[in-house]
Amino acid sequence: MLLYTDIQAKSGKSTTGLIMRAFLRFVAANLNRRASLRRYLACADGWLDFSVGMRTESGSVECGIVGRDGVVTASGRVPDDADAVVVFRTDAAARRLLTGTPTDQIYMLLTSEMRVEGSIMYLNLLSFFLSLVFGRMQRSAMERERRTDRKKLLRKSPRARQDLRDGLVVRKAQHLRCAAREPGVRFLADPYLPEYSLDDFPRLRKFLDIHLTEKPEVCPEIPRLLTRWHREHGFEQDASGREWEPVLRKAHAYKYLMENREAIIGEDSLIAGTTTSKRIGCPVYPDGSGGLIWNELLTISHRTHNPFVISDETREFLHNDAFPYWMKRNFREWVRDTYGNPLCQQLDERYAFYFNWKQATISHTIPDFPKMLKIGAGGIIREIRRELGKRCDREKKATLEAMILCLEGLIAYGRNLSKRASQDALREPNPARRDELERLAAICARVPETGARTLDEAVNSLWITWVALHMESMNAGLSLGRLDQWLQPYFAADMKKLKAKEKRAAYVKRAIELIGHLFMRCTDHFPLTPDLANFYFGGSSSDQAITLGGVTPRGGDAVNDMTYVFLKVTEMLSLRDPNVNARYMPGVNSDAYLKRLCEVNLSTAATPSLHNDAAVIASLEKMGYDIRDIRDWSATGCVEPTLSHRHMGHTNMQMMNMVAALEMALNDGRHPLTGLEIGPKTGDPLRGEITSFEEFFSAFTAQLAFLVDSSIEYNHMLAEAHQRIRPTPLLSALIDGCVRKGRDATKGGATYNSSGTALIGLADVTDSLMAVKKLVFEEGVITLPELKRAVDANFKNDPALLALARRKVPLFGSGSDEAVAMANRVAKWAHDHYASLPHYRGGTYTTGFWSMSNHVAFGTLTGALPSGRLAGTPFTPGLTPQPFASKSLLDNIRDVARLDPANLNNNIAFNVKVVPSAGDSREKTVDDMYSYVKTFFELGGMQMQLNVVTSETLRDAMAHPEHYRNLIVRISGYNAYFVTLNRDMQMELIERAEYGI
Amino acid sequence: MNDPLILEIRGNSLDDGPGIRSVVFFKGCPLSCVWCHNPESKRAAAELSFDPDQCVACNTCLARCERTALARKRPGFIDRNKCARCFACADACPSGALSRVGRAMRVSEVAEAVLRDLPFFRNSGGGVTLSGGEPTLFMDFSAELLLTVRRQRVHTLLETCGLFDWDEFSRTMLPHLDAVFFDIKLMDTAAHRRQCGVPNELILANFTRLLECGGTPAVLPRTPLVPGITDTDENLSAIADFLLGLGVSRAALLPYNPMWHGKSAKIGSSDPTAKDAALAAWQDTATIERCRAIFTRRGIAV
Repeated sequence: MLLYTDIQAKSGKSTTGLIMRAFLRFVAANLNRRASLRRYLACADGWLDFSVGMRTESGSVECGIVGRDGVVTASGRVPDDADAVVVFRTDAAARRLLTGTPTDQIYMLLTSEMRVEGSIMYLNLLSFFLSLVFGRMQRSAMERERRTDRKKLLRKSPRARQDLRDGLVVRKAQHLRCAAREPGVRFLADPYLPEYSLDDFPRLRKFLDIHLTEKPEVCPEIPRLLTRWHREHGFEQDASGREWEPVLRKAHAYKYLMENREAIIGEDSLIAGTTTSKRIGCPVYPDGSGGLIWNELLTISHRTHNPFVISDETREFLHNDAFPYWMKRNFREWVRDTYGNPLCQQLDERYAFYFNWKQATISHTIPDFPKMLKIGAGGIIREIRRELGKRCDREKKATLEAMILCLEGLIAYGRNLSKRASQDALREPNPARRDELERLAAICARVPETGARTLDEAVNSLWITWVALHMESMNAGLSLGRLDQWLQPYFAADMKKLKAKEKRAAYVKRAIELIGHLFMRCTDHFPLTPDLANFYFGGSSSDQAITLGGVTPRGGDAVNDMTYVFLKVTEMLSLRDPNVNARYMPGVNSDAYLKRLCEVNLSTAATPSLHNDAAVIASLEKMGYDIRDIRDWSATGCVEPTLSHRHMGHTNMQMMNMVAALEMALNDGRHPLTGLEIGPKTGDPLRGEITSFEEFFSAFTAQLAFLVDSSIEYNHMLAEAHQRIRPTPLLSALIDGCVRKGRDATKGGATYNSSGTALIGLADVTDSLMAVKKLVFEEGVITLPELKRAVDANFKNDPALLALARRKVPLFGSGSDEAVAMANRVAKWAHDHYASLPHYRGGTYTTGFWSMSNHVAFGTLTGALPSGRLAGTPFTPGLTPQPFASKSLLDNIRDVARLDPANLNNNIAFNVKVVPSAGDSREKTVDDMYSYVKTFFELGGMQMQLNVVTSETLRDAMAHPEHYRNLIVRISGYNAYFVTLNRDMQMELIERAEYGI
Repeated sequence: MNDPLILEIRGNSLDDGPGIRSVVFFKGCPLSCVWCHNPESKRAAAELSFDPDQCVACNTCLARCERTALARKRPGFIDRNKCARCFACADACPSGALSRVGRAMRVSEVAEAVLRDLPFFRNSGGGVTLSGGEPTLFMDFSAELLLTVRRQRVHTLLETCGLFDWDEFSRTMLPHLDAVFFDIKLMDTAAHRRQCGVPNELILANFTRLLECGGTPAVLPRTPLVPGITDTDENLSAIADFLLGLGVSRAALLPYNPMWHGKSAKIGSSDPTAKDAALAAWQDTATIERCRAIFTRRGIAV
């Protein structure tokens, strides 16, 4: 350890130290002297005080910047009790802060070249100040970066390939006819609806064009109304100084928001209501992760990936008013303050171990639309009042009252929409549109307050409720559920009223259009992602999953008319979101249905994702849930099962990097990238302390247990933050159990409770364990220290070992029983460990093996592995086998199907990229796809997601994005527009194994 | 001939018959076509192959060779006169650059390997394709294999050059075949002898006999379009007329690709067509269309 005087001497001598101090002095002088900047030191509550330090690990740099009462000073030391301290690994890293682009800074954070001790909000505030001073430089650096990148791509492929993009267009123009009768389809002449295409729906085409070309705008509506209400009524205490009951505070604030937000009927829309006040908006949730864009307020419209428009007014408001108020009133900082920046939180903020979603939101569940459609918000209020009439303790009473306030807010918003529709109708010159608006006014005069009678009412009720849920809580994976099941009764009721053939045909067309409008309404917002998220969760929308098909609660065939209407809309629009998931029950659902799912996958290149009902249901059967409720499951967010509207399953509680545990096992508890000595001492392979495969396996699981336990500790802290900061009374009113128990969904009110993890790197971990087992302990080809040294050197000096690991070790996906057993062993260990942990809502932790985009992000942050995977390269997506595991896709399919579903109760993502041969007919291509999927399911496979696009096309799209705005790709679980992805993710998709069909 | 060597069993093939198929490639062929796309399948004996692109230059193999047949400086790496084909080097090679071509397998082993894909065959209407090389060089083995997979109600298909003894074929393999892809390359027997090493009378006679079986197995004649050799108007017209005379209404034309050049070097064979510019390029669509028209004009679907 260095003595203080040493550090002083060092920092005195270090050139970087001097430069950094001069830099901060320059910043301070600018903020103090330039009036145009100085005004940002003040906010609605007075001066914005802050103190941020900067240092290097060695102490060669030590400086700080402090703002007090409108005066900024820079100093040569880290302030005592600094709000945040930026720590650089090296002098070079510190200097790169000054010279690098914002993208460089993101990579520095991700790769631990730079880390933060303390409040991220204060760091972001300082970053905002820096961008005030250097904004123009930053923006031109971003522009330069973009231009260079573009030039490089165009050099490689200067000419856009008309033939490739035409190929995708032709696919959409062709339609198969349904050869068989579909028993559940009562009204559609041909369930495949081959007679319709997007050309028949000019409005949908227009919506789609807007969606694909318009930049979303940051929408300040939520923080504006919430902050105003809270400034008046208090947050911790009410105006009279009494401690607020969180659930009641939330409900009052929510009702105010709903009564006062602008009621908007989207241009030309058949559905009333919008989630934001902008045409396409990014809602800001100041109590969650909204503050993460503080540093980007000046640059967000200039960044390369997912740029957002932001008005001067919004920027000023967020900086001066909203963000300062919510500085500590958000989940992350509440945990930091309450628990003293605990290690479990610090690990999360190093990016390489795990990411816990509760720092942004809980979401990830399915609300009770059937009930809302049936009895409306008014009916639910009556149910709650009946419950209030029984004996209630204080919490129950507050919770139920809060639910009523929220539902009243929802009703008020519906009435405002009705009024607005009437006003718009008065001003509308086009008589056809005027009729529609008048009809909407009438619809909203009824729903969502009362039950729906027609498909139009049902869809409006559903959407308005959906909007209302967005106003309560940020949407990440809040999902729409089994809409084909829930809307079919209204479709059938409408249909029965029509007798004439032409009228019925016109109605079917109208129903397709209406569902099309619903899909497009779901695109009226985009999550407010900080730029860092573009590298961590690139291109992900809020992942509003819709689930189709499968079986009914009694086990019968659930496929119906609306299933096919939804499939038609999915096919025509090719949207990334809603994320369409299709269930298929072998032996119950028809071949015609499965073929149609494959055809839609071919048309759209990536959706819907395909689930085997038998395997998903088997995975949930051990949980002790009612079998009828299990059969009623819906996909949530990406792929995860939620027992529709009865289950708070926070199914994307976290992303867990299993490979980090493997690296720690190879390093006796030290994590190589971050250098943190955090894991248990499980033996140093270099010193011969691991002498058998079983010892190595135990070392791996001990490290993983440490990471999992830390992450769960953090999850519980964040859960407590949610209970205090953002209870969800509206959602609770829409999840079975909460009313009866009188408990908020965040506290365990739902009938079923669980939280689901996404474990990342199963194939990479399995293959690495196989390499260690085979090469070191069974065949003795190499010693563990030798293998470890080769891994540390990224196999640079040992190409033979690299080749051996890749070719001679039986890998997961190669058809090896032993490798499948290893994968099952790892999955079972993870499942059993998670299941053994206490759960804060009295439920269970479930385990899934899909990865969103984190197989790329975590891969970037991971060194070489014994499996022969090189440093920094992506892991395989989800649990997909390595492309070189076998020459035959069938081996991959078989091995994945052999995983025991009992360990996969938060589902999986198995990604397969297939490309049709140019000469084949559509029918042949669909038949081939069908054969793979059906066999995979019959063998017991749980989930498969197809990308039907060539690498050549993807490369063309990379260089000429303007031609491919509508091209969706399946990442792992969710869909994204390929052209919005960062380069690493684009390359990962291009390099995935491609199987000709 | 006795038990064959198997070159490869390729699963998940979608181009060698209906549905998803496993293709068993036999080693050894009675023809020697100058354009042969699988030169490693010509000889019936096992061979040592070296692929410089896969070699990581670890030199593991050098120490394993007892006859010093391997040397970095030697073109092609292997001195094939010295090599005793013990394959010790290939067994030790970590990268697969050195490999053994052709593996002795029992019928049961081959059957087990292909039948792993049974569920895929069922759902796709696929099955097993015998290819090569030439499976009819090993009639007893092939017949037993066909019988074994047929017991599982698997669709069977033979890809053949057509040069075999009819009596033996009809006694052994024929009863177990659902379909045959039958190559008809050149109609002129002198040209056939020049380009493929043997005359074609027996081939054409076998084709006729196969058609006389009356549709079981289904027969599809196939003609590889080799630039300047088989894709001439004269040859294709003659083939089309021949087929028309037999009442054939459907045939397949296989467009040429130059991907096979370089395969010969790996097994130390010379490639007599290496410098032929016409054989170095992909066939253009205009040529393919011209060839197709010769058949479609006569009412034969291709």
